[in-house]
Amino acid sequence: MNIVKLELLKLKSKSRGWLGPILVFILIMVAFPLTIEVSNKELGQSFFSVLWIAILLVMMLATEDIFLEDFNDGSLEQFAISDINLSYLVGAKIFIYWLLIGVPISFLGSVFCMGLTNSIYLASHLFPILLITSYIFINVFSFGNALSLTKGSVLGTLITLPLLLPLLIVLGKAVISINLNLNYLGFVTLLLGVLSIIIFIAPLIISYIIRAHLE
Amino acid sequence: MHLKVKATNLSYKINEKKLFQNISFALFSGRAIHIQGDNGSGKTTLLKIVCGLTNQVKGDVELKIDKKICYLGHKNALKQYLTVEDNLSLLNVVNHPNLTKYLNEFGLNENLDTNLSSLSFGQQKKIALLRVFLNDSDLLILDEPCVGLDQQSQDHLCTFINNELRLGKSILFSSHMPLNINSEVLNINS
Repeated sequence: MNIVKLELLKLKSKSRGWLGPILVFILIMVAFPLTIEVSNKELGQSFFSVLWIAILLVMMLATEDIFLEDFNDGSLEQFAISDINLSYLVGAKIFIYWLLIGVPISFLGSVFCMGLTNSIYLASHLFPILLITSYIFINVFSFGNALSLTKGSVLGTLITLPLLLPLLIVLGKAVISINLNLNYLGFVTLLLGVLSIIIFIAPLIISYIIRAHLE
Repeated sequence: MHLKVKATNLSYKINEKKLFQNISFALFSGRAIHIQGDNGSGKTTLLKIVCGLTNQVKGDVELKIDKKICYLGHKNALKQYLTVEDNLSLLNVVNHPNLTKYLNEFGLNENLDTNLSSLSFGQQKKIALLRVFLNDSDLLILDEPCVGLDQQSQDHLCTFINNELRLGKSILFSSHMPLNINSEVLNINS
């Protein structure tokens, strides 16, 4: 079974799977300034906290049934016995999810940043950080959902969410550095380092977990 | 005749309950083995062990196949929200020269644009069987392939399997129904 074709057909026939999380993200970002009565400057300061939490929640929502449907209908069995390594298929699936959900949300995050902080400089520097972060989030939540494949996604989220807390600290520091015009490349390198490890390890571990579920 | 599958002393247990013990068989090209047994005796587990989906507790499975395994289990691996044609494209069989022939035989040629969820269980099973019919593998593993099929479709399946055996393919299947397939019987109850 061709996984790229499968995900593209899903995109065509089941738009709520990818459009839903994007709409939820837009709703959070639009609703957040409406709930507080503050000046533009204060709005800009609290924007980033809301942005990171919104991305975290939306990625959690987007990956909720990343493997569940394929597990229930037997597609995962077919992937597992195909001549292509299961970890490549898992990696491809995560990449497609990032392409369909992570990239648009990163772009929208930058647009909202520009709108709320009135800074094109900040928005343009935030975009690559958002791309990297969303990819890390999708990988980690996919791991959690694979772990709790037959037990519901809440358990997986509870296990994986604490793993992302150090990342939120790094993201906060990176934004402060960009705001103060300091060198923030160290933080980007750190995020890239985390991504480069996770991009190989997560699909490998997930493929072992899926095989254990299939037994 | 070439040896395709050799299973030696396979044993499996779940939570200390032994499902089967010391099952051995050899499957050659052009031969079929019909696995029989009561409900819960481990027929599906045995097929999954041969596929590599489940690990045996004891014993060894040796596969000597050149192409991939074609496996049809209890789950059809079809997407309910896609049309029949989209599902077939996922199986990479849309351009297969024999596709129209089998669709006609199964009476599905007018359902190509229909959503799979609108089809009956038996019709969905027939779509899943197209994966088997249009496959390019030398080992077919079928778990209860006749469940949900009408008599005519069962006959098509048996004819197809007997033809494939003549072409040198190896087939391992489980079924509660007696099927008109030239096969050896492996009863795992005993």
